[in-house]
Amino acid sequence: MAIVQFENVTKAYTSGDHELKALNDVSFTLEEGKFVVILGPSGAGKSTLLNLLGGLDSPSEGTITVNGRDISTLSDNELADYRAATVGFVFQFYNLIPTLTVYENVELVSEISKASLDAKQMIAEVGLSDHLHNFPSELSGGEQQRISIARALAKNPRILLCDEPTGALDSETGVMVLKLLLSMARNYGKTIVIVTHNQSIARMADVVIRVKNGKIRSIEEQAEPMRADEVEW
Amino acid sequence: MLIRKLFRTAWSYKAQFISMIIMITLGMGIFLGFNMEWRTIEVDTGSFFDHTNYADYRLYAEKGFTADDLQRIAAIDGVRQATRYLSVNLDIKGEKNKALALDVSEDFNVSTFLVTDGAAYDENSDGFWLSDKFAAANGYALGDTLTLEFQGTEISGEIVGLIKSGEHMICVADKNQLMPDYHSFGYAYMTPKKLRSAVESKMKKTVADELEKSGVPEEFIDDSLSKLLFTEKDITQALDQVYAQINLLSDVDKETLEDKVKEALGRTIMVTPKDDHIVYQEAMGEAEEGKTMGSVLPVLFLLIAILTMVTTMHRIATKEKLQIGTLKALGFKNRRILRHYTSYGLFIGLIGTGLGTLLGLGVCKLVMSENGMMGTYFDMPDWSAAVPPFCYPVMLVTVLLLTLISFLSVRQQLKGTAADALRPYAPKRMRKMLLERFPFWDKLKFGTKWNLRDLSRHKSRSAMTLFGIVGCMILMVGGLGMRDTMAGFLDLLDHDISNYATKVNLVDNADKKDALSLADEIGGDWESLSGISLDGDTVTLDIVHNPRDQLNVIDEENRRITLSDDGVYLCLRLKDKAEIGDTITFSPYGSSDTYTAKVIGYNRSIMTESVTMTDVLADQLGVEYVPSAIYTDKSADEVRSSELIAGKQDKAQLMETFNSFVQIMDSMVVILVVAAVILGIVVLYNLGIMSYVERSRELATLKVLGFRNRSIGRLLISQNIWLTVIGVIIGLPAGVGVLQWLITALAGEYEMKLMLGTLTYSVSVLLTFGVSLLVGLMVARKNKKINMVEALKGLE
Repeated sequence: MAIVQFENVTKAYTSGDHELKALNDVSFTLEEGKFVVILGPSGAGKSTLLNLLGGLDSPSEGTITVNGRDISTLSDNELADYRAATVGFVFQFYNLIPTLTVYENVELVSEISKASLDAKQMIAEVGLSDHLHNFPSELSGGEQQRISIARALAKNPRILLCDEPTGALDSETGVMVLKLLLSMARNYGKTIVIVTHNQSIARMADVVIRVKNGKIRSIEEQAEPMRADEVEW
Repeated sequence: MLIRKLFRTAWSYKAQFISMIIMITLGMGIFLGFNMEWRTIEVDTGSFFDHTNYADYRLYAEKGFTADDLQRIAAIDGVRQATRYLSVNLDIKGEKNKALALDVSEDFNVSTFLVTDGAAYDENSDGFWLSDKFAAANGYALGDTLTLEFQGTEISGEIVGLIKSGEHMICVADKNQLMPDYHSFGYAYMTPKKLRSAVESKMKKTVADELEKSGVPEEFIDDSLSKLLFTEKDITQALDQVYAQINLLSDVDKETLEDKVKEALGRTIMVTPKDDHIVYQEAMGEAEEGKTMGSVLPVLFLLIAILTMVTTMHRIATKEKLQIGTLKALGFKNRRILRHYTSYGLFIGLIGTGLGTLLGLGVCKLVMSENGMMGTYFDMPDWSAAVPPFCYPVMLVTVLLLTLISFLSVRQQLKGTAADALRPYAPKRMRKMLLERFPFWDKLKFGTKWNLRDLSRHKSRSAMTLFGIVGCMILMVGGLGMRDTMAGFLDLLDHDISNYATKVNLVDNADKKDALSLADEIGGDWESLSGISLDGDTVTLDIVHNPRDQLNVIDEENRRITLSDDGVYLCLRLKDKAEIGDTITFSPYGSSDTYTAKVIGYNRSIMTESVTMTDVLADQLGVEYVPSAIYTDKSADEVRSSELIAGKQDKAQLMETFNSFVQIMDSMVVILVVAAVILGIVVLYNLGIMSYVERSRELATLKVLGFRNRSIGRLLISQNIWLTVIGVIIGLPAGVGVLQWLITALAGEYEMKLMLGTLTYSVSVLLTFGVSLLVGLMVARKNKKINMVEALKGLE
């Protein structure tokens, strides 16, 4: 069953007299529960795609349907509710709130999500129960990213969107984070979309969408994706 | 190139730059404005006093001074000029409730006037020189005839000149009138020659009345018959009694002069220096009041402005760290980079100080100009704007300090290598707060925790915000409270102290028995005011007879005192002189007698420094006195004319003069409240924006997580509201404290009791919260436009 459908989506930015199309007439569908990697070089339009899907931005043209609902015409508040209920984000630089502790960062989402999961359990699942009362600045990069994953999943979203989640981590930590991300997403039955320029990560995906110059070059389904610990960086 | 960068950077931080410039302008403007006000009073009144030969000393003798007395006084070593002088309040014939102080200076080199229109002073003139303001208020013009009622006769003459006089620069009938009211009271001068002829006319009239009473037929009573009954010498003697004052110019100190006068005349004479003369006293009082005001509130403003600058410049330097690093990496020397960023402070300092000077001039002119607030109080020809000399170094130091603040902020970022400078600014590590140790902490909502930690993480920003709110509260409570206190003071005067309808002023040489029978006749209380010497100071002895409660005396708590005959009451300003139960010794001027009395209480005196006693005690002690004024509930029309009466004052009219005083106060309050609101808005907005920019990444994260704009806005506003609550809790008592301090500092002029209305508290609190909420909304609105994608890019 298709959970995401992009139909002729264009996102254009104007700068003075110039118009730059970050995405140009893009169409594709994503099936629920799949692990999707969007691959492309810098400036290809992959982050724009993720932002549109995450409801951080609206398309200039075309429609985006998520879970049967057109999100391209939603108001600010409706988009906020959409982000609260349907998608979870994991960023390259974690984006934890520095003034809240680990527990509070995760617990935070219970204020906006009706179906939120238990914060302590999520933190335990990412293996950081010992750091409940630490502030983000007291954790390593890998630990911060694990908390970020716990926070994203605690909202109990349908789709998990990850923007270069291992971009700021060394390879060993990166592998560990990816493993965790995949296992947790699978356990909770989430659709994962990862944006990256790292070819190695693509080998783990069920579906790889290659993007270049704002267009989709290919959509490839992998029948037997690699396991995270098999991937070489 | 770097100059271009300076302007572009300034533009990119326009909110901060504009707010810093506004704060410096406001701080400098209020500081200069308030200080220029008192300095201008000193300079302008000083120059006016010089031009009109305002007397340094006034000698008073109830029985008058002879020409021989004058010669002896003039011969005293150190006396430059001396003149016999008369200043008496007279009603204008044919006009209801209009009176004039009629002045005569025998030697027109002391206590003179400036002619603004008409003829110069001429000792042979038969006319009057009238106050130009009184003429304008009452439609008098040059050439009009003026008739004054003088001791049962009339003095009539043409208005030959319009004038301004230093002796009447603050034109009030007596110390009980706070503000001039030119519709009812003015002043005029005439020549000694005209006075002599008025005295002669009066004597003729007295003779004629007596002849008529003795049955001499009217046709026989003429000038020639009168002249047979009194001589030129009699006229001179009568005139001597009229000249109850000698005004003189001298630099000799009071004690020496008193001794020399006593030596010259062989009797004790009441010598009052100009500091005790109502005009000089009030003018200098205003200047002192200005100095007091100028030393607190404007300094507070300037301090807040400078502290805001410290916080803001530090933040800008922090945000510019990467650029500083880039310039360093490009090969710019530290000195050049320092010079570049230091020039920001200089630039803000120069613009702020320049604009502040203009604002200061505006504030000063608002108060000190012919159409300004003091225009209704002072009547003088020239209104300038003088800057106290110490303000120049303050201006210079402010600019240097602002430059130094920039210098230090940038120097901090320049430490280390270019690579260090290129690394982004690392925010302080989070540490647990004390509050987190308490069990309730876990029950707090995330927004509350977030805000509390943010406040503790950015202590200087939070402290500055708090400081701004406290400052805003102090200014509001101070300003509005001053008005309440003044209004309460006037209310006290109107209802508790003055229960009469009309005050009847008696002539100086009234006969005691006649005066007492007049008081009985019109059914009023009375008081006798005279000068006494108490521990070397000149104070007023107030002998009160008030069985009808028309004139009341009140205590420190504003309760009416039923005066006891067992002792005297000292006014609050004399509280230091003696404890209750102590005895004081005083001596009336013009007499070598001394009297001793026990102090049995303190009273709140409205205008004068006074010792109060009952007439019964005065009689027991043997103090000689004559009633000066009768207070009655009869209207002025119901009080019959009498030679004893110098003038009648309607209480309603007297209270009316206070209204202009209250209006001045209102304008000052408006300035303070507006300044407080601007201060609040600028400080809170500046710091609010700073806080918003610093937290933009966190706010964007919340937005990405799915928080609605309104909930994020609420978070931002709630931090402002908390700080406002704390600021109000601190600011309210601080405001009351500052007000109490001001009132104590002003006690030399008015014995006021601090009074604060509920409205003042409510308005101050509501306005401060209003400002905080408004700024909170202004900042929260920006949240709608936050670009989630942009805000989340980049390095932590």
